[in-house]
Amino acid sequence: MFGQQVMSGLATGSLYALTAVAVVVVFRNTRVINLAQGDFAMIAAFLGIVFLKNFQLNYYLMLPLVILCSMLLGVLVERLVMRPIADTDWLTLFTATLGVYYILHGVAGWVWGRDTKAFPVTFDAKPISVFGTLVSEGHLFNMAWAVCIGLVLFLFFKYTKQGIAMRAVTDDPETAKLMGIPVRFIVLLTWAMAGFLAAFAGILLAPIVYVSPEMMDEVLVKGYVAAVFGGLYSIPGAILGALMIGVAENLAGGYLGAHYKTATAFAMIVVLLTFRPKGLFGIQARREI
Amino acid sequence: MNEMGAAGRRFARGNALEAANLAPEAAAHAQRQRLALADAKARFQKQNWVGTVALFAVAALFPVLPGVEGWMAYTVALVIIYVIATQGVAVLTGYTGLVTVGHGGFLAIGAYTSALLTKHYHTELITGLIAGGLMSAFIGCLLGLIFLRLSGAFMAIGTLGFAFFVGTIVNNVNLFEGREGISLPKNRILIWEIGDVGFYYVALAVFALTTLLVYCLVRSGVGRALMALRDAEKAAESCGINRVFYRTLAFSLSAFITGLAGVLNGHIVRFIASEVYADIWYSVDFLVAAIVGGSSFLMGPLLGGIFVALLPFFLEELRELAFILKGVALILVLMFAPAGLAEVFGRPWRAWRRNKLERVRNDGARVSRASLDKLTKLEAR
Repeated sequence: MFGQQVMSGLATGSLYALTAVAVVVVFRNTRVINLAQGDFAMIAAFLGIVFLKNFQLNYYLMLPLVILCSMLLGVLVERLVMRPIADTDWLTLFTATLGVYYILHGVAGWVWGRDTKAFPVTFDAKPISVFGTLVSEGHLFNMAWAVCIGLVLFLFFKYTKQGIAMRAVTDDPETAKLMGIPVRFIVLLTWAMAGFLAAFAGILLAPIVYVSPEMMDEVLVKGYVAAVFGGLYSIPGAILGALMIGVAENLAGGYLGAHYKTATAFAMIVVLLTFRPKGLFGIQARREI
Repeated sequence: MNEMGAAGRRFARGNALEAANLAPEAAAHAQRQRLALADAKARFQKQNWVGTVALFAVAALFPVLPGVEGWMAYTVALVIIYVIATQGVAVLTGYTGLVTVGHGGFLAIGAYTSALLTKHYHTELITGLIAGGLMSAFIGCLLGLIFLRLSGAFMAIGTLGFAFFVGTIVNNVNLFEGREGISLPKNRILIWEIGDVGFYYVALAVFALTTLLVYCLVRSGVGRALMALRDAEKAAESCGINRVFYRTLAFSLSAFITGLAGVLNGHIVRFIASEVYADIWYSVDFLVAAIVGGSSFLMGPLLGGIFVALLPFFLEELRELAFILKGVALILVLMFAPAGLAEVFGRPWRAWRRNKLERVRNDGARVSRASLDKLTKLEAR
């Protein structure tokens, strides 16, 4: 029972991690807390349905197409909404992403309707035994994907020119600009990466929860909490936070009752922030006079 | 000539006596100019007051206008309640610079405090308002102390956690009767029962009081301390502003105002259920209203509250399109009025005011130039 709860907690946590990492990546390069992150994923899930059902495509043919569309959406949002107001304070930027949230919600509801839809690809409900604990096939599949994406991200940030440039922009945008890094392009790339992560989050979550405009709301909140848990600047911190929140809330759901799932995540974050106001791996501001 | 300039500068520095010694006539003129300026400022402030009072007078006459029915007063009262809650957010987010996404929690605390008192002890509305406001302020004070070290996005997520916490409690603790909700009897003020129109006046009175509270707060030393903490925390602290005290005070006041709105919100519908008060979208909407209206303007919450509360009302038939229009409107406001609607609407007023002050100043300058000519002539003689 316990092992099973932990395993499914890790599976949910890995999906939160996809959102949390996207929130961190966007925040540290652009100061934007992106509330529309969940909606990128929701649009991706709907597009997945369209490609699978209306165009009768194969799952692995659909995936790159959805990723492409999702990245395009991220870039579009950056160019049309965020760039014109890039110089304002973070609160204005935050509210602007809320505007994007409303728009994407409205578009999805308009085009595909409010009622929930089943995703055409589902997994066998029959659980598989891993190290003595039963795990459902879907959860295993999702965890495998999440690990792959984590690895890709790691390699990207460590070895590619663009990844290193992105880290440079995170550290110090001014100096990065002076060193000849095209900061605007990097910001664009950041939003494209948010779209990329959202595509996976949407497609992987779609078989578990039904697809609807609201499907990502809860995951977004948890992803945001996880990002803050890790300190908003650290990708490993966000992943760790997401996994911890996934496991903790699954245990709370199992032992206390389903009502307490979301409350557990927030109780964790409030307690953590009380003692570490900048999150687990955040940069602790020294109070100097 | 040089003496005149020196006299002016001395005067500006406050050494009126010294200035008078240097060039008596110029000092007198500078004095007169200063008085004229102060007079003009006082006049403008009076006009400002006239505008505000006129606004409230029109609002007070609204229910007795021909063609206005009870439900209209009810709807407008709902908007007023929204605006009051937004004022609470503005105190914290606009003047103190702490972003809150948790004021739905304070709304719930105010509403439930008063509802439980009314249900178990049959209290009337004014007692409910005081109790709900104070309870909310108390919890706000505690929250302010817990979140003393948070700022920016961390504060946002912390307060969001608070809203979720309150939502979970009202959903699951038996006292609050969860989704079944608490039904309230007819509203009473002291011993008199009031209907929709009566309630409208109560809401309006509370709104007037909270507006006065915010107005006095902003123009007092406390308000200046809050704004100093917002603009330059360390500098303010090094000037002797007690950060712990003022932050907690801001939290309490803000929670108090939103708590009042919560009491009104519970009593106007006369039914309180966790479905409404556990909804975190309230918190988000209040923040949006504060930002859209301009959270550091007195009339900002009014404009922002109307924007957020009435937009879905007008767009209800459009359904999905309403969502899109809401988002587009929000983004457009942020693009073209980043300081809020109050700033845009206030622009012609402030431009006019500036012009007038400028004219007064020029008049003063002209007068002193004339006297300067006279002075030079006298000296030449």
